[in-house]
Amino acid sequence: MSPRASAETALLLRALHAPIELDEPGWDSLLRRARASGLHARLAAAQAATPGLPDVVRRHFLSATRIAAYRRKLMEAELFQLAALCDTGFPVVLLKGAAYALQRRRMATGRFVSDVDLLVPAAHLRTMEQALRAAGWRSEALSPYDERYYRDWSHETPPLRFPGHSLELDLHHAITPVTGSLAFDPAPLFARAEPIAGTPFHALATEDQVLHACVHCFHDGDLALRVREVVDIDGLLRELAGQAGFWDRLLARAAELGLQRPLWYGLHFARAWLDCPVPGAVLAALPPPAAPLRRIMDTLVALTMLPGDLDGPPSPGVRLARAAMLARYHRLRMPAHLLLPHLVRKTLLRLRASVAAKKEAPDAGAP
Amino acid sequence: MIEATPYRVLDVGAAKLALHSPIERLHADLDRVYPHLPGTTDSGFADVRVSLLPGSPLRLRGRQVSLWSEGERPFEPYPIHSALPLFEWGSNYLLSQRLNAYLLLHAGVVARDDLALILPASPGSGKTTLTCALNLAGWRFLSDEFAVIDPDTGEVLPMVRPAPLKNRSIAVIGERDAAVLGPLYPGTRKGDVAHFVPDRDSTLARHRRARPRAVMFPRFEAGARLHCKPLDSATAVMRLGLNSFNYRALGPVGFHAAVELARRTKAWELHYGDLDEAIACIETLFASLP
Repeated sequence: MSPRASAETALLLRALHAPIELDEPGWDSLLRRARASGLHARLAAAQAATPGLPDVVRRHFLSATRIAAYRRKLMEAELFQLAALCDTGFPVVLLKGAAYALQRRRMATGRFVSDVDLLVPAAHLRTMEQALRAAGWRSEALSPYDERYYRDWSHETPPLRFPGHSLELDLHHAITPVTGSLAFDPAPLFARAEPIAGTPFHALATEDQVLHACVHCFHDGDLALRVREVVDIDGLLRELAGQAGFWDRLLARAAELGLQRPLWYGLHFARAWLDCPVPGAVLAALPPPAAPLRRIMDTLVALTMLPGDLDGPPSPGVRLARAAMLARYHRLRMPAHLLLPHLVRKTLLRLRASVAAKKEAPDAGAP
Repeated sequence: MIEATPYRVLDVGAAKLALHSPIERLHADLDRVYPHLPGTTDSGFADVRVSLLPGSPLRLRGRQVSLWSEGERPFEPYPIHSALPLFEWGSNYLLSQRLNAYLLLHAGVVARDDLALILPASPGSGKTTLTCALNLAGWRFLSDEFAVIDPDTGEVLPMVRPAPLKNRSIAVIGERDAAVLGPLYPGTRKGDVAHFVPDRDSTLARHRRARPRAVMFPRFEAGARLHCKPLDSATAVMRLGLNSFNYRALGPVGFHAAVELARRTKAWELHYGDLDEAIACIETLFASLP
C-alpha cells in the first residue's frame, strides 16, 4: 500500500515534471492547489514551454516567476552582505535554499525563498552571532524563558533580521534539536562540508544535504502543507542519482549519523508522490517503521502535507492529523521531563494572551 | 472533476473574481455595489477565488465572517455585517500579490476618449474622492485602487470596482448629482465606510484599455489654496515607483514601465482644498495637452 494523494494533487505533482494539457477550469483548480502548497512558481517553471496555455494562465505563471526571481534576488543581496562577515577561521555553511541557489542546482528554479539558514560550529556560534549583530542584524526581544529555550534546547539562535529586509536569518549550530532523539554531534558535517566556488561560504556534502532535507521535512513543527519539502528531496535525488556510488554513500552516511528513519520517510514519500527514481534496493536497505506505525504515518503525513479542500477551512480530519503530527514533533524534540513543563507553560501563556487580546479587524479599504 | 461549491463570478475588467458565501446580506450588498455586472456563475478561470464563511453564532462579542483563500485565512475576521468590505479589501490584497504580470500603481484612473489620467497617491490624500468626483463629472472610471499597466504596451487596464469612501468623503460625494452609494458600514477602524458605485458605461467598458496621457499626484488639505505644479519626468518616475505595489519586485520590467509611462505623459502635483476647483483645473490642463 502507498500513501495516497487525491487525483487533483497527483496531477499537480505530475505537472512538476511533465507538460500537461488542461482547460481553463482545470488550470484554475491546479494553480490554486499549487499556491496552497507554495509550488506555483515551480509549476510555472515546469510548464513554461507547454503549448496552448491559456493567456490568463501564462499571466499567472509570469507573476509567480517574477516573485520567485525577486525573492531570490533578495536572498542574493543578503548573502552579498553576509559574505563580508565570513572571513573567519571556521566554515560558515549555507543550508537548504541558499546552498541550492549558489550551487546552481536545477531544483532551485521556481523555489520560493523564505529565509537564509546558516550553520556554524557550536564553539563559534557566539562569535558569529556577535559579528552579525555588530553588522546590524537584530532579533526581536524575547522573554528570558524563550531566550533560554533557544539557547539550551534548540539547535538555532532566535531568528535575526536586518532592519528593512524581508528575509529572516537563522543561525544554527546543529541540524537536529540538541535535546531530541535524533541529536548527534555535527562535527562530521563540518568535516565534509565543501566550499562553494567563488564564494566564502560552504555547503554540506551532497549526501548530508539530502539527509538534512529529510530531517527538516519530517521533524519540524506541524508539517502543514510541507509537500514542497518532499518536492525538494525529490529534486535533489533526481539531480544526484547519476553520480557514481551516490546511493551507497547516502546509505552509509545515514547509518553513520543515525538518520536512517528520516531518510526512509523522505525516499518513501518522494517515490510514492513524485515517482522519484529511488532504487528498490536502497529503500529495502533501510529499516522501515513497523507496519502499524507505517500505516498511521502514511495517513497522517498525507493529510497534513498535501493540500486538501481549498474552498474553506481545513477539515476536522486534517486538523486532527496536524495536531497529531505536532504532538509527535514535540515528543521527538524533547524528553518528557523537559517537554511537559514547557507545554504547560506555553499553554498558560497562550490562554492568558487570548483572554487579554482584543482582536481587531484590519481596516476596510486600506491597501 | 467535481465542482461542488457554487461561486458567484465578478468580471471587473483586468481580473475575474469568484466568491462563495452563504451570507445573504453579502449577496444583497454585492447586488447594490455591482449593479451593472451580469450575475454569472460560470466555472472558468478566476484570478481570485475566495469563500466568505460565517463564524460561530455563539461568539459573545458578535458574530464574525472570515475570508478563506486556498484553504487558508490570510486576514483577521470582520464583524459579519461587514462581509462586503472584507471581500473588497481582501480580494484587492490577493490581486496585488498575483497580478505581477502588470505594473500595479496605487492610483485612481479615469479617462476621456480612452486617454487616461492616472492619480497615484498614498492613503488619506483624497485620491478616492477625486476619482469618484471625476467619474460624476463625466470621466470614464477605470479604477480607484490599482492602475494596472501592461509593460508590453504601456496601456492601462480598467479594474472597475466600487470605491470605498471614508467618513466625510461619504457626504461630499453622496451629495453630488447622480451619485450612487452602497450600504454604510459604520465604525470600521478607519471610521465609516460606504462604496461609490461607478456608472454603467464605465462598467460596460471594463475591457477597453486606455492610453496614459497625464499623471497627477493629488493631495487634499482642508482649506488649502489650489496649487498645481508640473513635475519633470525623472521626479515623476521616482514618485510612480514610490506609489507602486510591485515596482521593486518587477525589477528592470518595473523600471522600464515607469520610465515609459513618465515619458508618454505629462505629470503634475496637485494640492487642493476644494473639489470643484481641482476638477476645473484638471479639465483645463487635460484639454491643453497637445
